[in-house]
Amino acid sequence: MLEFVEATKRYGSLSALDACAFAAQPGRLTGFLGPNGAGKTTAMRAVFGLVELDAGTVRWRGRVVTLADRLRFGYMPEERGLYPRMGVRDQLVYLGELGGRSAMDVRRSVDNWLERLDLADRAKGRLDVLSHGNQQRVQLIAALVNEPELLVLDEPFSGLDPVAMGAMAALLKELAAGGATVLFSSHQLDLVEDLCEDVVIVDHGHVVLAGGLDELRAAVPQRFVDIRFRGPALDWSRLEAVRVIHAGADRARLQVESVANVAAMLAARGDGTEVVSLAYRPPTLSELFRRAVGA
Amino acid sequence: MSGRRQVWLVARRELRERSRSRALRVSILVMVLAVAALIVLPAVLLSNERNRDIGITGDTPSDLVLTIQAHADAVGTTAHIHRYDGLATGERAVRRGDVDVLVVDGRRLEWPTEADQKLKAVITGAIQLVAVRERAAAAGIEPDELLALVAPVPVTNVELSDVAGRSAGDETATTIMIGLLLLTISVYGGLVLSGVVEEKANRVVEVLLARVPARTLLAGKVLGIGLLGLAQVAATALAAMIAIATVDSFNIPAISGGVLAWVVVWFVLGYALYATLYGALGSLASRPEDAQSTAGPAMMVMIASYFAAFTMVAQADSVAARAISYFPTTSPLAMPGRIAMGAAAWWEPFLAIAIIVVTIVGLVRLGGRLYATAILHGGPTLGLRDAWRATNKANARASRPAATLGPAPLRQALSAVREGRQTMRGAGQSGQPRAVVVLTLIGLAVGVAVALLTSDVIIGVIAGAVFIALPSRASNSGPAAVRVDPDGRS
Repeated sequence: MLEFVEATKRYGSLSALDACAFAAQPGRLTGFLGPNGAGKTTAMRAVFGLVELDAGTVRWRGRVVTLADRLRFGYMPEERGLYPRMGVRDQLVYLGELGGRSAMDVRRSVDNWLERLDLADRAKGRLDVLSHGNQQRVQLIAALVNEPELLVLDEPFSGLDPVAMGAMAALLKELAAGGATVLFSSHQLDLVEDLCEDVVIVDHGHVVLAGGLDELRAAVPQRFVDIRFRGPALDWSRLEAVRVIHAGADRARLQVESVANVAAMLAARGDGTEVVSLAYRPPTLSELFRRAVGA
Repeated sequence: MSGRRQVWLVARRELRERSRSRALRVSILVMVLAVAALIVLPAVLLSNERNRDIGITGDTPSDLVLTIQAHADAVGTTAHIHRYDGLATGERAVRRGDVDVLVVDGRRLEWPTEADQKLKAVITGAIQLVAVRERAAAAGIEPDELLALVAPVPVTNVELSDVAGRSAGDETATTIMIGLLLLTISVYGGLVLSGVVEEKANRVVEVLLARVPARTLLAGKVLGIGLLGLAQVAATALAAMIAIATVDSFNIPAISGGVLAWVVVWFVLGYALYATLYGALGSLASRPEDAQSTAGPAMMVMIASYFAAFTMVAQADSVAARAISYFPTTSPLAMPGRIAMGAAAWWEPFLAIAIIVVTIVGLVRLGGRLYATAILHGGPTLGLRDAWRATNKANARASRPAATLGPAPLRQALSAVREGRQTMRGAGQSGQPRAVVVLTLIGLAVGVAVALLTSDVIIGVIAGAVFIALPSRASNSGPAAVRVDPDGRS
């Protein structure tokens, strides 16, 4: 388990991290969300000692992270970077060996990953002759060469096409299923919603919402009601304790407090409106996010 | 995973990747060949002087030819005698260059242009001796008595240079040696500089530092590039020793096996000092274009040290020379110079080594701290003072709660970071190091050539230094380096 304990980092008078506290569990995908400048990158760099915290600690399995721990971590920084003129396989083997594994183990891992990500035929060439997408894949392998127990990825989906995104998502799921702790940041909330069991939302360096996605959604008292209907549309706003999110010719989306009995209200008010379907839904991740960061 | 293994892994990558560079291989080859040529060529050129062609015409005493040959032998020259029937044919031979001089009637010497003093002395001496013998015979003196009369008195020639046993040839050799030391230290120190900046500009440093402590990374880089430099210096020294062994007539004690061994030792020390300095200062730069200016102080110290060491050569035994050869920035150039000039007592190099090793240890500590702080600084190129303040803050922070913090606004810092990123993103390896190597080589050649032509070391130094100073100027104001986008993003 990766834990942030009251992690604090200030640049001048502004807080990049302000008593930031959360945990990422092994075997689960944790989405790390927040508006730009919320402190996500600072937090991720702190895991690797690239940012020196002013206060608080980052812990791995209950103890402050050491250099030896970091050798078993994988990291994909926001600013991607490798040696442009060095051979693809050579530099991956180099990075793996720096992680302390034997050259033979590392070579086996690298070759497996290159094979798996369709880069085997580019392995001997230089990095800078590869396409952007392929360079991204090499960067991903660089994070995976030491078969990490913890994987920290800063915006792994940025700049990927939909096919590559799907492949990346499948890969992350597989790694988590294999027991790894996976923490990644993203702005693509739909994707995170599909992919993650856990989310952490930070704002101004502080955790504003954290936990299992299902529990978080269930914990919000409001429900969303999707209605399909035939006949004349109602003036939905006249219903009690209802906020209209969307009103169309044959469907509407309402927000209600708690589990208000919309069906009963419609029966009481609905002159000639025939309800085709009615469903209560918890808030989407986007709705949770906007609530959490107060936008 | 021990730190030592990581240092070695980093060093091994530098060795492998750098040794693939054709420019580096060529420069090693050029230096090895140039040094061998500098030793062998003068000997080959001198051997021309050992064979002289002398034309003889007209009425010549019978034993003049034998006497000329005997005198020539005495000074290590073989005289080849050519007889001509008439004055005109003889003079034609002189003009064509078939002979170096024509002896007419055993009394007049005809030269193609100016008289060759050495040959003139040989022939004139022979003519005088033959004349004395003729007159002695006429006066009735026995040949044996005559031999006793004219037996030569041995005269010793002493060249009064600063140190006994060292000649102008030694000075030139020492000057060239110091120049080559400066060249190799600055080339390999420059590779450390550009390597550090490239890693920072490529952002690969963040991936590396997630696994390797900053000091380990710097140490590995300095070690790996240093081993390459050591290979070049050792190969050059070996080539010099082989060349010396193959040329019998070589008599320049300034370049002996012992001195060359010292040169290798001093390369290692000088490189360790300057490479650490370059590495630390390089970490301040965000872009390869800025590297030359952040490393400016180190370059200036180096050029100044070069001047100081050069002026020392002619007076290797003076108090100033002694001081320069102990001072840590100048000792890597000045001490081997003094050793070559035979001016250093046996204990002096060891004292200088002690001083420079202490300096290097201190510099590694300070430089390592500076590097560790500055290498992850994402913004625009740092000033030395700001970076230093940041290292102190980082150190103090560890022992202090996060209450005392400066007023610099984050937003400002962030926008600066963004700006910096835009300009530095992907700035890859530049063509500059190669240009610097080439220009420095030319500069050195110019310096040596001028020094030899004017036989004035100082003027040679100035000419060479001007050229060596040029690359740093040129790369500051020159066109931006070739950019390589490491991640394809724009």
